Amino acid sequence: MALDMTGPGAVARGLSFFSRRAEGRHAHSRVGGGGSPLGDLYLSQLIPALLVVLVGIITIWSASISIPEANFVSHLAGVAIGLAGAVVIWRYDYRTLSNMTTALFVLACVLMVLPRIPGLGYEVNGMMGWVRLGPLRFQPSEPSKIVTIFLMAAACAQYNGKIDSFRDYAKLCGTLLVPLLLILTLDLGTGLVIFFIGATIIICSGAPRSWVLGTIALIVAAAAFVVIESQIEGIPHILKDYQLKRLIVFVDPDIDPTGDGYNLRQAMIAVGSGGLFGKGFGNASQALSGFVPEAQTDFVFSLFAEQFGFVGSVVLLALYAWMIVSTVLLAMRMESMFSKLVLVGCVGMWTFQILENVGMCLGIMPVTGIPLPFVSYGSSSMVVQLAAVGIVQSVWRHRQKAA
Amino acid sequence: MDLSLVIIIVCVLAAIALVVVFLVFGRSEANFTFDIGGASPRASGGSDSSSEKTSSSRLVGLVAMVGAAFSVLVARLWSMQLVSSEEYAEQAERNRTSTVYTQAPRGRILDRKGREIVGNRPSLTVVASSDVLEDEVEMTLLANLIGMPMQAVRRKIQDTTEGQQSPRTVSVDVSRRVVAFIGEHHELFPGVDIQERTQRSYPHGSLAAHVVGYTGTVTSDQLEASANAEDGGVVYRSGDIVGQTGVELQYESVLQGARGEQSVYVDADGNVLEYSTNIRPQSGSDLVLTLDLDIQQAAEDSLARVMEQLRDTGYEAEGGCVVAMDCTNGEVIAMASAPTFSPNLFTGGISTADWDALQDEKSHFPMMNRAIGGQYPSGSVIKPLTSFAALDYGIANTGTTWDCPGWWTWTGDPNGLPYMKCWWESGHGTLDLADGITFSCDVVFYEIGKGFYNADNSQGMQETFRRYGLGSKTGIDLPGEEAGRVPDPDWKWDYFKALGYSDEDCTWKGGDNCNIAIGQGDLLVTCLQMVTAYCSIANQGPVWRPHVMKGVRAQVGDGLITEYKNEVIRTVDEDQGFRDLVARGMEGVVYREAESQTIHWTNLDVTVRGKTGTAEQSTGNPIGWFIGYAPAENPKYVIGANMDRVLSGATSSMYVVRDVFGAIYGQPDTAAASTSGNAD
Repeated sequence: MALDMTGPGAVARGLSFFSRRAEGRHAHSRVGGGGSPLGDLYLSQLIPALLVVLVGIITIWSASISIPEANFVSHLAGVAIGLAGAVVIWRYDYRTLSNMTTALFVLACVLMVLPRIPGLGYEVNGMMGWVRLGPLRFQPSEPSKIVTIFLMAAACAQYNGKIDSFRDYAKLCGTLLVPLLLILTLDLGTGLVIFFIGATIIICSGAPRSWVLGTIALIVAAAAFVVIESQIEGIPHILKDYQLKRLIVFVDPDIDPTGDGYNLRQAMIAVGSGGLFGKGFGNASQALSGFVPEAQTDFVFSLFAEQFGFVGSVVLLALYAWMIVSTVLLAMRMESMFSKLVLVGCVGMWTFQILENVGMCLGIMPVTGIPLPFVSYGSSSMVVQLAAVGIVQSVWRHRQKAA
Repeated sequence: MDLSLVIIIVCVLAAIALVVVFLVFGRSEANFTFDIGGASPRASGGSDSSSEKTSSSRLVGLVAMVGAAFSVLVARLWSMQLVSSEEYAEQAERNRTSTVYTQAPRGRILDRKGREIVGNRPSLTVVASSDVLEDEVEMTLLANLIGMPMQAVRRKIQDTTEGQQSPRTVSVDVSRRVVAFIGEHHELFPGVDIQERTQRSYPHGSLAAHVVGYTGTVTSDQLEASANAEDGGVVYRSGDIVGQTGVELQYESVLQGARGEQSVYVDADGNVLEYSTNIRPQSGSDLVLTLDLDIQQAAEDSLARVMEQLRDTGYEAEGGCVVAMDCTNGEVIAMASAPTFSPNLFTGGISTADWDALQDEKSHFPMMNRAIGGQYPSGSVIKPLTSFAALDYGIANTGTTWDCPGWWTWTGDPNGLPYMKCWWESGHGTLDLADGITFSCDVVFYEIGKGFYNADNSQGMQETFRRYGLGSKTGIDLPGEEAGRVPDPDWKWDYFKALGYSDEDCTWKGGDNCNIAIGQGDLLVTCLQMVTAYCSIANQGPVWRPHVMKGVRAQVGDGLITEYKNEVIRTVDEDQGFRDLVARGMEGVVYREAESQTIHWTNLDVTVRGKTGTAEQSTGNPIGWFIGYAPAENPKYVIGANMDRVLSGATSSMYVVRDVFGAIYGQPDTAAASTSGNAD
């Protein structure tokens, strides 16, 4: 199946190969030519991203004061590794990946399956999805987001912005579906991110509107079926009990005021009690006194909003918006479909993770364990998010110089 | 708020500006829409729908979607952090603050000389959290250590009366040994703790138990009442110890201190992070009673001893009571009721077995304070009041004489009906009203009753009784007082009609008048009522409200900060000549009626006036009364007693009254008491 997927774009691949070689040379010659050192950096995306990283460092610092799980040094280490990785990616010509669809597909599937391999799979706080390789512990679901971006961008770019045959459309959806199904049952949150990345790329790659709408309708129906099925007693449930409960408490937090509803309510109290200017650094009586669970990871926005209030929250969201919009603007300027779609994938990932994480703390999204990009404690997430920044910078660095 | 409004407006403008900027960047695409599906008009010709156009419009759609997502988030933030911020802040504050309460010791209850009747003592208490219930081994260990059955420990821990979250009391007053063992082996007893509490202590045991009452855990009704109270009274919390009867209940607001409240900042696990404001517990004030411990002790001892004697001679002597009052100010010097109970049973919660025993009918209601709550027919102790009624309404005058043949009928015809006997069946012969009181001649008072029946004011007797306070509460500062009953034609009609009797049976008759004239029939009084009525005889008019509270002691020193305000509740006017006549009759009761009576009084220096009474009861042996006052010349003490199921007043209650007088004047009764014999 995977082999089959690379099939139809053979000619286009050949063509684009030439053009990319040409672009690459051009870019390299530009670097070699020595212009402004900052010229290779897409500052309007880099600056807000680094500012958000700084916000994250401050927030995790405050968390590290009273939450023993939040190790400030390890957070800084994550940032350092992430920045180093981003620099490597920035210098690397991402375009080589555009014709590696099969390899990317296999890699995505392997990452999704890794936690299930006995001996490698590892459980943290009752959450599956971790892998232990020697001294290294990480969540393969995080890098799989990047892999998915490239996989879907490479697969969709083959059609050069126009998908005319339903067969092709279905093939793309199938490419997304395989890793998605592998992760969805293990980690619903990451599964949703993967889905959102893939969906955004497919839509932006020019899939006909009616097909997209039909697919969405199908997904909604399937989701409704899953939720309803999980509430019928006596048959095996698709959603785990805690997943279903989270969906229900999102609708009405008072259903379960001591369990998940409690967590959500406490997180909302933290945000709401922050007020206009917040309670100040380190004064988060809700998030830092244990009322908000996972205040350094899933509910990190509560911690931030309680300390820095409405003003701080709007500033943070504005930085995110700046970063995302400048990435989209870059995508608009790119000629190559693959470059466009890679950027679109990053935008989709960030947008969904921010919307979900912040929305969850505000009680307008269901509770799922999705980290807030650049802020949440956790090296896997930090490294991957900074890698995404590196990708955007790499796109800029290897852009086709306008005449 | 102005500042925040400005900021909101700025933010909204910034958001709009951002959106506009995004739209401008999409200017080259003439026909974009916000729709993610893109607006590429596929139908308008193949060449027009270039991939370039489609993907650009979709990117603009993407920006629009991102903008929408952020707008939703900002709008929600605005609503939470600005609009409803105070609400959330309040909840956050409620989360982080907690109050630790410390129980204030209750005030002590002292006698008039400052001696402790009810005090406080430290009590080491073993408490356990409800988690201990899950650990059988721990419960067994604990039970063995304390010396309780394991099942009892389990029941104690299951008991939630002190509140769901509060630790459960397992055992009070544990020994130092137990405390030391638990302290040294704390790892064996997770969830078990030692608390130092104060408990009510009763240095004199059950002395004055009916007056002081007992304390107990606040009931749900009391909780509700205190929560609804409008005027800043104490608001109870579940598990508080409050007065349940007697003075403990009546003066709860004085005795109950103000609990200490320590505000603390806590984290989610309830660990204290920081201490905030602290209100130290303020112990309740000490209450000084009018009771005199020595006299109270004598009263109770005598009551118990006489009842015991009577039981030995075959009478049930189920219950009795005695009240000693200072008629010059209404102070109750002693008030005892038998059988009694130990208020100590109630400290730390009374056991079901103990409670059932106290409520059992066979134990003759030890919880009832008979002196104020026991309603009995008065018998002949009413006769001084009947005499005043007869004199006041002209039924008799100071010179009137009667002839007592030992029996009496309405018409005087020995074969007439109703045929009623004088208690002295051989007849008293000719006597005046004073002698009528002295010898308690029923015939004299039958005649008075008949006289009232025929008089213009046929209810003169009832009016006189009421003037002396019968049929209404005295208003003593103790809960549980009863009003008694002065029957009259209206009452009889209503009462018996309701029970379904015929018109004939419900009509007031001459016999009813004769009955109440000698304190029989449907007349009911309490001992306190009769003593108060005698106070107005002794005091020649003014009657002070009876009370047991003397004052509230200052926190520092021995002075009183609040004193009971003595109050005249009524003044009974009588002609001085009438008073003298009744006084003469009552002095005769003590010194002339019978030698067996007199010998108990001649060994007392002060002159006593009094009246015996034996009220027959349809349900069994009579109730015996005696009420007396002394010194005759300048009365100060009025003491009355009654005893249920005895031979007569003179052979029961009189001894009790004599013993109390003996305690007051330091002259105990030396004459041998006889619980048999013929007297009234």
